[in-house]
Amino acid sequence: MKFLKKIFDSKRKHFAQGGRFEKLHPIFEATETFFFIPGIVTKKDAHVRDSLDLKRLMSMVIIALIPPLFFGIYNTGFQSNIASGLPVTFIAVSLKGLRIVLPVIIVSYVVGFFWEILFASIRKHSISEGFLVTGLLFPLTLPPTIPLWQVAIGISFGVVIGKELFGGTGRNFLNPALTGRAFLFFAYPIKMTGGAVWTVVSNVNSSGVDTFSGATPLAVSAVQGTASFIESLLAKAGFTFPKLFFGLYPGSIGGTSTLMCLIGACLLIFTGIASYRIMIGGVLGVLVAAYPGYIMSLVSGNSTVPMLALHPLYHLVMGGFAFGIIYMATDPVSAPGMNTAKWIYGFAIGFLTVLIRIFNPAFPEGVMLAILFMNLFSPLLDYFEINFRLKKRVPNV
Amino acid sequence: MISIRTKKGYKLNIAGEPSHELEQLGRPTSVALLPERIPFVKPRLKVKVADQVKVGSLVFEDKRNSDLVFLSPGGGRITKIDFGPRRVIKEIVVELDQDEGYETFPIFNEAQVENIERQMLVKAIMTGGLWPLFRELPFRDIAAPDSIPPSIIVSLDTNEPFQPTPEVYLKGKIELFEFGIKILQKLSEKLFISTSQNRSFVLDQLNSYVTHICERVYPADDPGVLLYHIKKSPDENRAWYISGQDVLLLAMLFKTGKYPVERTVVIGGALVRGKKHLLTRIGVPLNHLTKGRTDKTEKARHIVGGIFKGYKGGKDSYMGFYETSLVLIPEGGEKEFLGFARPGFQKPSRSRAFLSFLNKSALPMDCNCHGEERACINCGFCAQVCPVDILPQFTYKCILVDEIEEAIDHGLLDCVECGLCTYVCPSKLELCNVMKNTKKACYLEQL
Repeated sequence: MKFLKKIFDSKRKHFAQGGRFEKLHPIFEATETFFFIPGIVTKKDAHVRDSLDLKRLMSMVIIALIPPLFFGIYNTGFQSNIASGLPVTFIAVSLKGLRIVLPVIIVSYVVGFFWEILFASIRKHSISEGFLVTGLLFPLTLPPTIPLWQVAIGISFGVVIGKELFGGTGRNFLNPALTGRAFLFFAYPIKMTGGAVWTVVSNVNSSGVDTFSGATPLAVSAVQGTASFIESLLAKAGFTFPKLFFGLYPGSIGGTSTLMCLIGACLLIFTGIASYRIMIGGVLGVLVAAYPGYIMSLVSGNSTVPMLALHPLYHLVMGGFAFGIIYMATDPVSAPGMNTAKWIYGFAIGFLTVLIRIFNPAFPEGVMLAILFMNLFSPLLDYFEINFRLKKRVPNV
Repeated sequence: MISIRTKKGYKLNIAGEPSHELEQLGRPTSVALLPERIPFVKPRLKVKVADQVKVGSLVFEDKRNSDLVFLSPGGGRITKIDFGPRRVIKEIVVELDQDEGYETFPIFNEAQVENIERQMLVKAIMTGGLWPLFRELPFRDIAAPDSIPPSIIVSLDTNEPFQPTPEVYLKGKIELFEFGIKILQKLSEKLFISTSQNRSFVLDQLNSYVTHICERVYPADDPGVLLYHIKKSPDENRAWYISGQDVLLLAMLFKTGKYPVERTVVIGGALVRGKKHLLTRIGVPLNHLTKGRTDKTEKARHIVGGIFKGYKGGKDSYMGFYETSLVLIPEGGEKEFLGFARPGFQKPSRSRAFLSFLNKSALPMDCNCHGEERACINCGFCAQVCPVDILPQFTYKCILVDEIEEAIDHGLLDCVECGLCTYVCPSKLELCNVMKNTKKACYLEQL
């Protein structure tokens, strides 16, 4: 520790004002504060401060992301090896997963940090911890087959247009990770949707590939049929409810396992970092939106809108809804700040997700679009709730 | 008695809380007045260096109202008048004589107080130099003598970890306190007296006087918080308040005819040995309080007036007119290796992001910010603790873009300046100070 401190102390002058690397001061500062909490003391009251800072807060989110991340690595390798007809031992699968996922994450962090540093140097402020989360959230929403240059473009769009243009962390009104993903989704639809993108097939043993159908549950269920028919169709494709819940099926890197997301959610809610209101509101929204259609299709027997016939609980475990509502929708910057507004916001995300899935099967990523759409409305929701609250206040002028 | 439910606030579990023991301190060699620490006052000096003063002699008056006088807390010779930047008067030091002389003031008994006209009573308190004890919400300036307040709030208690408890400062002085209450009843028809739950001493002794019981979280006992919870119309906003200990001073002035200087002060904090209540006088030097109780004055921050609201005093400075608490905690300032990644069993936090949520013992704290300043991420922790339901995260942004009207609509003036929003902020923003300064600017504009 002493040794590290010495290094930082001796190099500080080069990065200070007038030093050789004055422009790179944010890098120096970010590295130093990564290793050492700075010894800044309070100048005025309150003289003591809570130990929680943004670094800790964001690291808690990273810790909460570990279950979906690790499972995602395993699942990616598993799907790839099955599809390629390779052995599915734990080690082989994990290594394969790492080989696919790690480059995506590294590219996301490196490119993202490049933009962060660039903006921080020009604006002369410090690098915000918010990107640590964005840089990990973004790759977890991507299909494993994504080309790395698209990862770079996606994260660049997310960080620059989604966040830095508006002033950086704390001032963005859209979730930067989702902004990047939405950009890729619309700019390169072939690489982002459809059956083929969700599994990396390494053509070592082609016999395995023949039996492989790459369809995702969302694609399977977008077929016309009665309720029991659609479920049996899903089951035939291998997507039983437990399987969807546990997440061992092809899909985006981190978003397949509802169980893992729930573990993360427990941590986030327990530490008070993410809002349970948004999460529960989201689940309610899904159920409220999906049940009427489901009952209608049960009664009428056959429906022209295929997704209507799907049991509402399936909506909760499909298409990365859990990942979206737990990690993406709860981003405090782009979510509303008021409690009732959070309920409404979460509810609307769930509701819209189902509506998009049912009535617009061309956009299977309902949850992504729903969150981005509601991001736009969160200031308005806040505005209404604050105004409502202020009316009840005894004025003090 | 009405119980006030405060859903918010915070109970800081910090090491170094004082015991209820009371120690009588000896005489200091000097005492001082600190005009700088009296809010909004514009002092006009009435003494020079080397002047002789008695206890209760006029030292300075307020330029805004020359009847508002500030009297000497000691008898002796003025040895130093310390000016700060922009000629602000920081300290007026009186070196005490062996035999202090006393100015005399009229003595009132209970019947006289009962029958006296309100105006005469106000005048008596003003000439007795104790009018500044009355403060007016929401700006906390000294109350305007010619106005009649909607109510007077006496807050006996304090839930701040380092303030004197009523058990100690009221012990043996219940009658004196009752006399003080009679004076207050004369000043306003509505008198609210609040204490905290489970203060059995106060509830037994003063049962008939206590009107409100607050919860035992900081700052539920603050008069501003009480007012926020009981007010029904905007007319009640300009209430006055006076602290429980100051009611005793008022009573002493009328009973003895001398300017009262007795104060019960708390000394606490992790760096102090024998943390307890001290019976001493107004304006004592800090080193008189700390003498023999601490070794590490160099590394200690001397916080005068409480850990949340107080100010940083030099170790050679003096206690102010209002302050009743001195806290010594380490200045901090050490860098912590990989601090954000540690389990944090010993790190006090309101959140559960550290293992310290399992640790129920009082934890030592220093003045480290534990992080750098960042932009607000709208986490809303500040709104979760604000005792008067301001939304600091939004109000703060209103202020930053100069939307003062909107900030006031948000309840800026209800702010009790408790500092909890600043305490919890993970972005380390000076929320409370920004609001406090804006309030002050609003007030100065109104004057």
